[in-house]
Amino acid sequence: MSEALVEEKYNYGVVRWFTVAAVIYLVVGTLLGVIIAGQLAWPTLNFDIPYITFGRLRPLHTNAVIFAFGGCTLFASAYYIVQRTCSVRLWSDKLAWFTFWGWNLVIISAVITLPLGYTQGKEYAELEWPIDIMIAVVWVAFTLNFIMTIVRRKCSHIYVANWFFLAMMIMVTYVHVVNSLVIPVELFKSYSIFSGVHDAMIQWWWGHNAVGFFLTAGFLGIMYYFVPKQANRPIYSYRLSVLHFWALTFGYVWLGAHHLHYTALPDWTGTLGAAISIAMIIPSWGGAINGMMTLSGAWDRLRTDYVLRFLIMSLAFYAMSTFEGPVMSARVVNALSHYTDWGIGHVHSGALGWVVMVSAGAIYHMVEKLWGREIYSKSLINLHFWVHTIGIVIYICAMWVSGIMQGLMWRAYDEYGNLVYSFAESVGAMHPYYAMRAFGGLLVVIGAVIMLYNVIMTIVKSKEPAAETTAAAV
Amino acid sequence: MNRLTEHFSTDWSGLTASDWVGLIMTVVTFVSMLAVYFYALKPGNRERLEAHRNIVLNDDSSDREDR
Repeated sequence: MSEALVEEKYNYGVVRWFTVAAVIYLVVGTLLGVIIAGQLAWPTLNFDIPYITFGRLRPLHTNAVIFAFGGCTLFASAYYIVQRTCSVRLWSDKLAWFTFWGWNLVIISAVITLPLGYTQGKEYAELEWPIDIMIAVVWVAFTLNFIMTIVRRKCSHIYVANWFFLAMMIMVTYVHVVNSLVIPVELFKSYSIFSGVHDAMIQWWWGHNAVGFFLTAGFLGIMYYFVPKQANRPIYSYRLSVLHFWALTFGYVWLGAHHLHYTALPDWTGTLGAAISIAMIIPSWGGAINGMMTLSGAWDRLRTDYVLRFLIMSLAFYAMSTFEGPVMSARVVNALSHYTDWGIGHVHSGALGWVVMVSAGAIYHMVEKLWGREIYSKSLINLHFWVHTIGIVIYICAMWVSGIMQGLMWRAYDEYGNLVYSFAESVGAMHPYYAMRAFGGLLVVIGAVIMLYNVIMTIVKSKEPAAETTAAAV
Repeated sequence: MNRLTEHFSTDWSGLTASDWVGLIMTVVTFVSMLAVYFYALKPGNRERLEAHRNIVLNDDSSDREDR
């Protein structure tokens, strides 16, 4: 199909902009991560400047990687996948562009307000109420455009990737709106309508569903399209994908309470969250196996197809994280792991291993299709893969060792019942691991810069006349 | 009353309207999920469901047909 016909059939313009924005935000978000990792290892890097201290840059880092990078990747891939699997153009181009500019306005607002110290103090929901309203409006516009595109589809069946995107859109709307219910007292100051343990429960109901639906269901939608597409083989089992979807959608909404073991929350609530967390290993591993087994009989492709390597490695990290999470949710393990760096290691094996790697695979695939030419350098994709993978391994190993050591030092007591170590001693013991973590994170940033360079060069080369002869089949 | 029945005992009269709404929604959703499992795993539905595996691979060919 000629490029002109493809452009007419699909709205690729907005997908292109979201794709490029995602790669830029990956560099920015991971760079912020390295800066704050450096501040933890070497506190002088705070420079006594309030706007760039750890406490203000940390939420900027999480918002940049989750909502800027992750969000733009989800917008790009959802718009791309729904058009191709429904064989129809987006319902509204104007609404699609509204989501692009609206989402970026949210990100710019975060970049301004968080360093200035405007925050609700809720993890992954720090942004103040006017920005929360903007998020809700843009997200509902995204959902409406997606649903209406599906309604106008030219095939009878709705492919499973679109189900995962729909679950993400509906649940994120629900949990974001409820967790953001506040009483505003000033333009950038508000108080939650919930109080005490109810506020904590609502916050972690949001917190874990941000992980479960924004960072898992949405990216599973990406996985169910791009793994079979890149492998050029159908998904291993469509029935398994149906079971994966319903079990994940039913199960994830229960898990938030496992973040509040040993608090004022009733024990039964946390235990229920932990029990269902453990049950969630089954659908999560079912999905991971479904993705990996798609390569059954063609494993040799991993030697030569670096994009596929990203996608399959992401599933390995998905399986690992979805085993580690439930284990950490069990009360006896949580007593050791909670509030330690083990949690940070777990989050980053999911974020860097699963989310970033599946995104990188999807973005490399889309860039070739969107700009109609082969990627500028396949060797650079391979280099990105290894630099990123080594960076993650260093990062999460450092955090595992650091976290378990922290937990053991905090709970150690002598024969008289006195604590053996002061908190400051435990902080001192963490230093080598914090330095290691910063180095691992630096490798991840270098990988992201390599990706940005490769994507930019692909776009630049696509504008040269010779590109037509090497245009990728669309 | 043994420990197990004591553990699962519930003061039904103490449930509020929102408790009942939540309880009914949860049970209905759970039963619906089981029904989906039954549907997906029923051998007779295998071919019908697995036929959708190829949608992703066919989207390029649908572009060519449009042409």
